[in-house]
Amino acid sequence: MPVVTLSSDSHPLGREIAVRAATALGYDCVDREILKAVAERHDVPETDLHKALDESPSPFGISSKNHARYLAYIEEAALAVLLKDNVVCRGLAAHLYVRGISHVLKIRILADPQKLAGEISSGRTLSFEKASALLKRREGFRRRWSLAAYRVDETDPSVYDMVISLTRIDPDEAVKTIVETTGYRKFKPMTYSLKCLKDKALASRVRVTLMEQFPDVTVQADGSSVVVQTKALEREKQKRTEVIKKLAGEFPEVAAVEVQILPDIFRKAAESFR
Amino acid sequence: MAGKLELLLLDDEPIVGKRLKPALAKIGCNVEVFEDPKQALDRIHQKTFDIVVTDIRMDEIDGLEILEHVLRKSPRTKVIMITGYAMMAVAREAMEKGAYDFISKPFTPDDLRKVIAMAAQALGSPIDSETADPEEPSEPAETR
Amino acid sequence: MSQKEGNPHHDLADQAMSLEGRSGRIHAVEFTRKALLARRRYSLRLYIYLGFFLIFLIAVGVATSMMLTMDVVEKKLRFLEIANEYMLEIRQARRFEKNFFLHGTNLNDALENVYQAKQILNDNKEELGKIIGKDSQSIILFNFIRYEVLLKRLVDLEQTKRNNPDYPQRKKEVESELSRYGQEMVSLANHLMKKEKEALSEAILRSRHIHMYSLVFLLFFLVLNAYLLGSRILGTIGRFSVHAKRIGSGDFTPIPPGRRFRDEFTDLAIEINQMIRELESREAVLIQSHKMRAIGTLTAGVAHELNNPINNITITAHMLLEDYDHLSDEERKEMVRDVVNEAGRSKAIISDLLDFARESGTQLEPLDLPELLRETIHLASNQIRLSGINIELQSRGHLPRIHGDRQQLRQAFLNLILNAVDASSKGGKIQVLLVPADEPGYVAVKMVDFGSGIPEHTLDSIFDPFFTTKTSGKGTGLGLSVSQGIVAKHGGRILASSVQGKGSTFTVTLPVTTIPADIDSGDNLPGRPA
Repeated sequence: MPVVTLSSDSHPLGREIAVRAATALGYDCVDREILKAVAERHDVPETDLHKALDESPSPFGISSKNHARYLAYIEEAALAVLLKDNVVCRGLAAHLYVRGISHVLKIRILADPQKLAGEISSGRTLSFEKASALLKRREGFRRRWSLAAYRVDETDPSVYDMVISLTRIDPDEAVKTIVETTGYRKFKPMTYSLKCLKDKALASRVRVTLMEQFPDVTVQADGSSVVVQTKALEREKQKRTEVIKKLAGEFPEVAAVEVQILPDIFRKAAESFR
Repeated sequence: MAGKLELLLLDDEPIVGKRLKPALAKIGCNVEVFEDPKQALDRIHQKTFDIVVTDIRMDEIDGLEILEHVLRKSPRTKVIMITGYAMMAVAREAMEKGAYDFISKPFTPDDLRKVIAMAAQALGSPIDSETADPEEPSEPAETR
Repeated sequence: MSQKEGNPHHDLADQAMSLEGRSGRIHAVEFTRKALLARRRYSLRLYIYLGFFLIFLIAVGVATSMMLTMDVVEKKLRFLEIANEYMLEIRQARRFEKNFFLHGTNLNDALENVYQAKQILNDNKEELGKIIGKDSQSIILFNFIRYEVLLKRLVDLEQTKRNNPDYPQRKKEVESELSRYGQEMVSLANHLMKKEKEALSEAILRSRHIHMYSLVFLLFFLVLNAYLLGSRILGTIGRFSVHAKRIGSGDFTPIPPGRRFRDEFTDLAIEINQMIRELESREAVLIQSHKMRAIGTLTAGVAHELNNPINNITITAHMLLEDYDHLSDEERKEMVRDVVNEAGRSKAIISDLLDFARESGTQLEPLDLPELLRETIHLASNQIRLSGINIELQSRGHLPRIHGDRQQLRQAFLNLILNAVDASSKGGKIQVLLVPADEPGYVAVKMVDFGSGIPEHTLDSIFDPFFTTKTSGKGTGLGLSVSQGIVAKHGGRILASSVQGKGSTFTVTLPVTTIPADIDSGDNLPGRPA
């Protein structure tokens, strides 16, 4: 059956819909509670994982390097959950990295702006202008956050298969619509899409392993072969390739590792002028 | 077991048919191989197959067109699409049009045999995707 | 003042044709710097100082000549005064002389006047001589002295008239002689006055002329100076703006020496040449990174095409492994042959792309355009087929070769072809026409698509960097700008025309010289006349 990723501009609302949809479908609902296990596994503070999902890297908060690392941990865990099938995944930014997989139904729930403003300002009543300014600011922040972390604009509706605005549609209707949509043939899992998801999960596991040493790596997996890309100068090339091949080769599913060292043309250009 | 599965295999790459025919025959399929989509279509109109395996991108007739023809002729036929360059949009379109499964090249004979076994199961005439030969190498199990 | 620039690149350079692009340029920049500095320095500042100094000198000259003429006039005036005095004295003397003869008055007064006149003549003997000449002077003097002698004789006669019987007789004689010389003397004085007056007015006229001519000369000099200074500055600025335009269009030849001397503009030229070097290295990075993008576009087509042979290999290898024991040797061999053939096919599919992707230095060589276009179309063929588009290449007649960099031109044409593919809808057609250009000595490559066309208001900006009509993330907006840069380097240009709803035509014109276009002037600079 299709898996569902659900994201919302309002945490409580998203959670509510996700739980109800999962119940109606007979699926598990996976939310941020898995972060506890992730934190334990990688020995990082759980609060930092939450922060990485909600905040941008800053000199006072999480450093860029840790930010990327934490998000990679979360991605790895979320993909593992999605692979189990029959889940509704929420709050783990899955809609931003599980793209191009036909049996993943990506849903965005938009809260009523008035209620949302009240929720953000923790119950205070705001004037209409103040509320809309607040929402606009928050939307801008989420856009920047998602673009920085995954190069995807979270607020862009074309990211999702379905966007439901709760201003007009009741939560009951929303849940019903979600359940109905999962029944569409086009969201049916197939060998190809399952393979894609499996590839993604493997790539993300390899990436987590490699990130300790090479924060800029990108990893792609295709079946049992893995392609790793990283930027380096000519002289670092050989050593890096060896280290990456060894680390990635330790995964039992990985049969072949290809390392592509991209010439760091800007660094190269900068050096050639010295 | 209700006799042999009638299977049509269409791919404009000759090697695909040449090699897969014996591979599929081993699991009890009666395979007819075509390279030309037009001839395949003619055959589809003549005979009802249990399973049709077709490439999506071919020069004259699109695999999706074949899919439509097959399902119009016989809705119970399971159509398995294969493609060289898979994209989500095409995959969803194929599924929506009623494809049974969608696999991307390159695949191994075992990959296809597993999919066919599942299709056979769905048709109500299960077959064993494992061939009798014990020496045959087996891929890590695909889960569904 | 200035030599023609821009053409010398065509002069030589049949010599070394390949040179690594950037290092060649660095060499060219360095060489030009030396050539620029090798000339004698004649700075603008010096020129301006010299000009003003000359103007000052001329003003001094004018003032001096004015003072001199004034002096002359003043002298003449004073002499006229003297002549006047002399005239008065002798007239007075004659009056007394007449009175004596008429009324028998005293003659001493007349003598007094004669002495005075004589004094004046003596005092101004020098000047007088200069003005009227020695001869006239001696005549005047002779007359005067005769007059004086006669007058003295008359005085003596008067004193001895009692004891002189022929006194009346003698008096008569002296009187007539006296009147003769007196008249002569007065007329000579008059003549002197007249002459002197003429000289004065002549001096005044001369001084007026000097004033006038020196003003005219000053004006002429000022105009000449302004013209020379202006044309030196404006001419150089004009030259620089031509260079700036050229550099802007992607021709990164350093600015060569244009005059026989160097000045402040030379410093500017050196700085600009340095800038060109930086610009070029940046452009090289840009072209390379853009090439990578083009390759990214091509990969979709290649991946599709590549998966077929890989799939064939996978299936065949697996079946060979599975059925190894049951197969005959012949069957096994056939399967292995299939694997080998399909591996070769895979290699062929990617080799074009790999060849294109290779980072290579600038390499100038004679190129057969139809061949180059065929290669380029082949490179994009998977992409074209995937989009369901027909492409046809037509080459009219035999066209001369062009000279250029294979890789870069391929990149430029590929951009245009991929743009045409994007603009065309499925089942559409693209025509690539190779024809002689309207301009003699050029060939034109026309890429015609029958897509939606380009709106007129954007047609002007399509070559601007970062201009794109594609949705964000799909295009960088650098394709046409980079292509334009590459073609400009080859001495050609790209023109776009479009009819909305009917399609667009991009025309690339390239010179057909057998001489390399100036993509790398490092090797043709040395012979350039500096």
